[in-house]
Amino acid sequence: MLAYTLKRLLAGVITVWFIATATFIAMHQVPGDPLMNDKAVSAEIRKNLEQKYGLDKPVVEQYFIFLGNMLEGDFGISFTQQNRRVNDIIRDHFPVSATLGILAVFFAASGGILWGALTAIYRNRTPDIVIMFLVILGISVPSFVFAALGQLLLVNINSLLGQSVIPVAGWGTISHMLMPSLVLGLGTMALLTRLMRSSMLEIVNEDYIKTARAKGLSPMRIFFRHQLRNAILPVITVLGPQIAAITTGGFVVELVFAIPGLGRYFVQAVQQLDYTVIMGTTVFYGAFLVLMVIIVDVLYGFVDPRVRLQ
Amino acid sequence: MVDDKTHDRILEVENLSVEFSTYGGDVKAVRGVSFGVNRGETLAIVGESGCGKSVTVQSIMGIIPMPPGRITGGSARLNGMELLGLSAKESNKFRGVQIGMIFQDPMTSLNPTMTIGDQIAETLRVHRNKSYKEASALAVELLEKTHIPEAEKRAKQYPFEFSGGMLQRAMIAQSLACNPSVLIADEPTTALDVTIQAQILELMSELQRTENMSIILITHDLAVVAKMADEVAVMYAGQIVESGAVDDIFYHSSHPYTLGLKKAMPRNTGERKQKLMPIIGSPPDLFSPPTGCGYFARCPYAMKICETRQPENFPIVQDDDHHAMCWLQHEDAPVTKELHQNHASIDHAG
Repeated sequence: MLAYTLKRLLAGVITVWFIATATFIAMHQVPGDPLMNDKAVSAEIRKNLEQKYGLDKPVVEQYFIFLGNMLEGDFGISFTQQNRRVNDIIRDHFPVSATLGILAVFFAASGGILWGALTAIYRNRTPDIVIMFLVILGISVPSFVFAALGQLLLVNINSLLGQSVIPVAGWGTISHMLMPSLVLGLGTMALLTRLMRSSMLEIVNEDYIKTARAKGLSPMRIFFRHQLRNAILPVITVLGPQIAAITTGGFVVELVFAIPGLGRYFVQAVQQLDYTVIMGTTVFYGAFLVLMVIIVDVLYGFVDPRVRLQ
Repeated sequence: MVDDKTHDRILEVENLSVEFSTYGGDVKAVRGVSFGVNRGETLAIVGESGCGKSVTVQSIMGIIPMPPGRITGGSARLNGMELLGLSAKESNKFRGVQIGMIFQDPMTSLNPTMTIGDQIAETLRVHRNKSYKEASALAVELLEKTHIPEAEKRAKQYPFEFSGGMLQRAMIAQSLACNPSVLIADEPTTALDVTIQAQILELMSELQRTENMSIILITHDLAVVAKMADEVAVMYAGQIVESGAVDDIFYHSSHPYTLGLKKAMPRNTGERKQKLMPIIGSPPDLFSPPTGCGYFARCPYAMKICETRQPENFPIVQDDDHHAMCWLQHEDAPVTKELHQNHASIDHAG
């Protein structure tokens, strides 16, 4: 298990290096540079700035400087936000995105497993049909629509109660977090519900369920001890990438709910060609995604003994 | 076969009928099946795929999926207690306790995410209220009983760490946990290779003697029947077409289908150019079972009456408790070449 984990970690490091390199190359292919933004600057100022940020050096050299700094854990200074270090941006804003993401994943996973199991039990009956209809909605309606609807709902609740019980936007307390994380997790919840449902239905027909019934076990015991654990395996598999996707892909929800997360910087940096912020956030998110996948793979081993020993 | 005539029936199945609702209509999978199992003896149910063997025993256990499955009639009594139509809760008092069951493919019949020991212990914990520790110790004993070496270590392993033969032993150990009086083995050796088959069958015979249990053995391997069975029921198209003691079935085959099965079996006679005789055609569509004999279309001896009228279950006069559902056993039927017939003077042994 340890050797397996280490091997996965090494592969992860290579993956992150690849992400960094690919991003670096792609970024420099985009016409323009960070200094070409709004105001036209004189050639002299531009030259000074290029010197300051090291943009006058050949791209290959810039790449190695970047790699060297990255290994030391330093992503440099932002071009657009004066004197703000990229590390500080990540440090200040990633915890917000992560909290939102973890909460969203929690909603998505618990909801997905619950609804999925429920639809499998009530297969082709009313609860199944209703939930599966909602699942289609959850998958196909984009999150900003749900975000707006969620806010509308909160406004109505608050005005009905005559006071602001749950804040409509902003960040800070648990009550701030509930609606955005629910909205953010909705798509994944729908996805996991479908996965869980098909997984459950597949397992109902497995021979070992027949064995369990022939052993004279109660339906509840068969459900919890024999079906659920085996049905959850495929759900755990997709959970890793989903965690990363939720945490990194939350910028729309962050925008609507005015949450100071990292997602906004991630998107803005690309628009402004803020080289250091692009590299910093992309590599950071890439490393985060890789780490999540590894954690889930290791976790998988605990649920499925067949993976553990290979 | 034990020749004492006091039939000590432990399980008595009468007129069992099972249907399955499908998009295409109702499949009459089992059509009025009756048989009995004597205490400490083995009943073999033979027949080709899809003839209703498995559905019959799974209906008795109450583990066919309902819906779409539906038991439309009949009864199954274990020591006089009716098993059919019980609630799930009542069924669980005999399932795994008085009747144990093992299946065709041991590779898929055990939960892949639970240790072998835990799965065996689970039966004991549920039915015998044992603590986890007691049940686990008993599970190891059960594994030893089925001759699994290093049982203590093996009990902590998962199904994927076992070979097929070992898994079937573990399945047997699991089904024996509560000392059942009947063991249902649904093609227990079909998925195993020949040498392992023999070992598993030997183990079953041994445990049958030591535990004094009855076995219902489902198979389509006549060699297995000859080795294991005391009594045989030959099933075809959802019915039992011939039943009786194993020697009577083999040496006085009284139904053309039994004869066909025998001819389709390879023989170790030493002849090099030995041809197997398959039974031509396929079984009837059980969506709309034929009004006459189900075997009519494939039977080399078919007569006019066979097409329109369901044959009676004729007793074979010469033998004890030997029946065949075939018009050729009627006193007016013509004498045939190979079939054992009631009224024919010559005995076509073999």
